[in-house]
Amino acid sequence: MSTRETPFEQRLARLPPWLRPLDSEQPGSGRQWRIETVVMLLVFLLLAIATVNDVVLGTHVNHRLVADLRTWREYTGNNYKNISTEEDVKHYTTTDIVCGNTVPGPPKERVQLCLQMTGPVVRGRRAVRGGWYLPPKREDLHRYRYACYGAPKAQGACPR
Amino acid sequence: MNVAAQSEVPLSRTRSINWAPALAAACALVLVAATAEIVLDGSLGHSILIPKSPEIAGWLQGVGERLGYRVFLIALLAFSAGYAGLALLARSVSKRFAIALIVVLHAIVFVGPILLSTDVFSYIAYARMGVEHGLNPYTHGPASIASDPVYHYVGQSWKKTETAYGPIYTLLSYPFGLLGVTGALWGMKALAMLASAATLVLTWRCALMRGRDPVTALLLVAANPLYVIYALGGAHNDLIMMALMMAAVALTFAGRDAPAAATVVVGALVKATVAALLPFMILAKRSRAQILGALGALLVGVLLALAAFGIDGVNIVAALNRDAALVSSDSFATEIAHLFGKPGVFPIDHDLLKALLVVIVLHLLWRTWRGYDWVAASGWALLAISVTSTWLLAWYILWPLPLAVVGRDRRLLYATLALQGLFVIHQLTPLFAPVA
Repeated sequence: MSTRETPFEQRLARLPPWLRPLDSEQPGSGRQWRIETVVMLLVFLLLAIATVNDVVLGTHVNHRLVADLRTWREYTGNNYKNISTEEDVKHYTTTDIVCGNTVPGPPKERVQLCLQMTGPVVRGRRAVRGGWYLPPKREDLHRYRYACYGAPKAQGACPR
Repeated sequence: MNVAAQSEVPLSRTRSINWAPALAAACALVLVAATAEIVLDGSLGHSILIPKSPEIAGWLQGVGERLGYRVFLIALLAFSAGYAGLALLARSVSKRFAIALIVVLHAIVFVGPILLSTDVFSYIAYARMGVEHGLNPYTHGPASIASDPVYHYVGQSWKKTETAYGPIYTLLSYPFGLLGVTGALWGMKALAMLASAATLVLTWRCALMRGRDPVTALLLVAANPLYVIYALGGAHNDLIMMALMMAAVALTFAGRDAPAAATVVVGALVKATVAALLPFMILAKRSRAQILGALGALLVGVLLALAAFGIDGVNIVAALNRDAALVSSDSFATEIAHLFGKPGVFPIDHDLLKALLVVIVLHLLWRTWRGYDWVAASGWALLAISVTSTWLLAWYILWPLPLAVVGRDRRLLYATLALQGLFVIHQLTPLFAPVA
């Protein structure tokens, strides 16, 4: 500590030893260092497990989406590139909605057919439980859907 | 020790010394090749990884194929492996070789397209709003200049968003708005390169002042995959913030407390995150000059912001609150939510994460008060901000890296690199299951 202390430093010097500021860490038993390190390792472990879990989940979702796209193409007989898939982010189920144009054209610029797909991926495909149509240039919102059939009709997926 | 043993020791040492530079050179070659692959493929234009952009790298076309996930992720993995090798062998790398490698990596990225992010077009849009359209970027989003040529390139999510950057950065970007979109893009790329050069020079200087090997420090920052491919590739303004952050550290090491604190404030007026350094710096040094320096810079900055943008230009809290509510799929918070079977992050999680961050920062402040290295404490705080944020981007986990290489706690460096590793692993899903 310098010989010419400011009033602020003098006040700090009157604090109990455990509260006083230090210019460098005092050599101790290393207990705090060990506790911090253990906590950090545990946090890292949690983050590592969460990351790997997310990669596995993402891989499964991607496999499912690939099966969805393949199923839509085979069901409609249209081998289009721009097909949109929508996951059930509300209820977190594996039911997906896959929409694409019924005739060739830019994405969403023609009447679209949306298919509801459920169940496991079997031989690279999923089960189609029904679907509906959408007018051109419309997003898949409840109010735009028409001509529901299959399970979506029973679920009231279309407004009428 | 007998004669045979004496003669064996130098021999084995010679062997390891001879191999290390060769291995380091091989690692460096992997870094250059991976960067070149990404840039060459990226130069073919818009893809899932390359944002729509004016054609600035057209002359590189004809070698690669349009950049997709597979090639990108393999290159990213190769780059990461090369970086790990280089980090382990850094002691055997000469100063000249390290600088040459870094210049080459910077040059490759500079001539290439914008990689992986549309942020630079938001920067340009805000600049053009101010200088070409007379609009305040703190009250209007790019959607208000929908007829401007840059609007087409702004990311869909940001078209209605006002700027979240500090007033000094916005003013700094204004001259680029006068250059047209292509000119501004080159200007922003050049600015990112200059900021990177400043960050690296200052990191070198700080490492020397702390008695650390400057070549190792330099390579750990400049050859980092997230630094080269994401931060430099996207010409992110985080590099300017990091340059100011390291300037403040270097000034503090040189005993110039007032300019150091003022520099942190200037950095915070570029991007607010760097303000996290200030309390640690003040607690460690407890100098009146720091507080006066910080207050002086804040006063000038606020007056400048008020004059240029009105009260909205100084309302950084509103911008931070808005950004804190965003959620990205790469954030650790989202990953943990998925691990516990939740579809994503809920509002209550935001509050819990903020509370956790407060506890961590309080612990670090207490440790700094009791003599812990303030540079390392600042780095931990920046790392904690990125880990507890629900909006995590690759260049956010870079913030603590320059502090980690000059800090006195090596755990910070290991933790930063480990979390960066997890971030890279999290990108790999399309490699295992590509969506056609």
